[in-house]
Amino acid sequence: MEREGEGITSVKRQWTMELAAEDRRRIEESIRQKYSKVATSPDGHFRYPTGLAALETLDYAGEMIRKLSTSILSSYCGVGNPFKLGTIDSGETILDVGCGSGVDTLIAALMVGSEGKVVGIDMSPEMIEQATENLMKTDIKNVIFQEASAEELPFPDESFGVVISNGVFNLIPDKMKALTEVFRVLKPRGRLMIADQILTGQLPEDTKARIESWFR
Amino acid sequence: MLKEAGFVDAELVGETGFNSSPVTRGMLFRARKSAISEVRRFDMQTKGVLSKYQEFFDSAYGEGAIDRKTKHLIALGASLAAGCEA
Repeated sequence: MEREGEGITSVKRQWTMELAAEDRRRIEESIRQKYSKVATSPDGHFRYPTGLAALETLDYAGEMIRKLSTSILSSYCGVGNPFKLGTIDSGETILDVGCGSGVDTLIAALMVGSEGKVVGIDMSPEMIEQATENLMKTDIKNVIFQEASAEELPFPDESFGVVISNGVFNLIPDKMKALTEVFRVLKPRGRLMIADQILTGQLPEDTKARIESWFR
Repeated sequence: MLKEAGFVDAELVGETGFNSSPVTRGMLFRARKSAISEVRRFDMQTKGVLSKYQEFFDSAYGEGAIDRKTKHLIALGASLAAGCEA
């Protein structure tokens, strides 16, 4: 319990860090640069497995991943399995915040079926391009990918029953703003299911070092 | 932070095993939006409805000629008779 408590404290300290406008711009630009490379292939960009090996390690449902082609699955680079956090019912409306290459989005689309709808957003145009290419390799019809910021979600209030996110909030400069936006677009009784990285060590005291450690 | 954004039932569920560095850890979180939307809750709060209702509830279930436990059992019986299963 003590370890968990420390973790939560670290999350709060890490996630409430205030940034100068210039630092924020640098972070966003660095994210775009890194993920434009990841969009081509996630291999070698992360300390943990990617692609099919990651999906299997994270215990994604076999019947879902078998419905997607190897080339789609190879683009996966999540940090956890958000679907372990609750069931996704047929007919639900889902938002994937920071969808990357769209593997989670497509799995959600398979879960909600033709009566449901799934939207994937990402701030990286290259990732949206990759996700759209992946979508075109399937016969899934109930998915939309669009470039957008998690801090300004382009959707009306109470649009989604579930919001999922995988390895994204740790990168968002204004996490409180993004969470408030997610809350706004969720329907009453809506659920948020996140897999993400939290800092368990100390934050660097120096702001410059903190900015440079953003991608740890 | 999730609570500050308005969520309820915020929960750190467990580790994913995928850590991006020696000082970070992959974790699973979940939270829920209340059945009462934020706008409706805000309206109710500004009108003092929630606090008034709570006063009424506390008063109705307070110890009196009938004890608190019996009052709850009467309320349960009335609810079931009215078909309320929520």
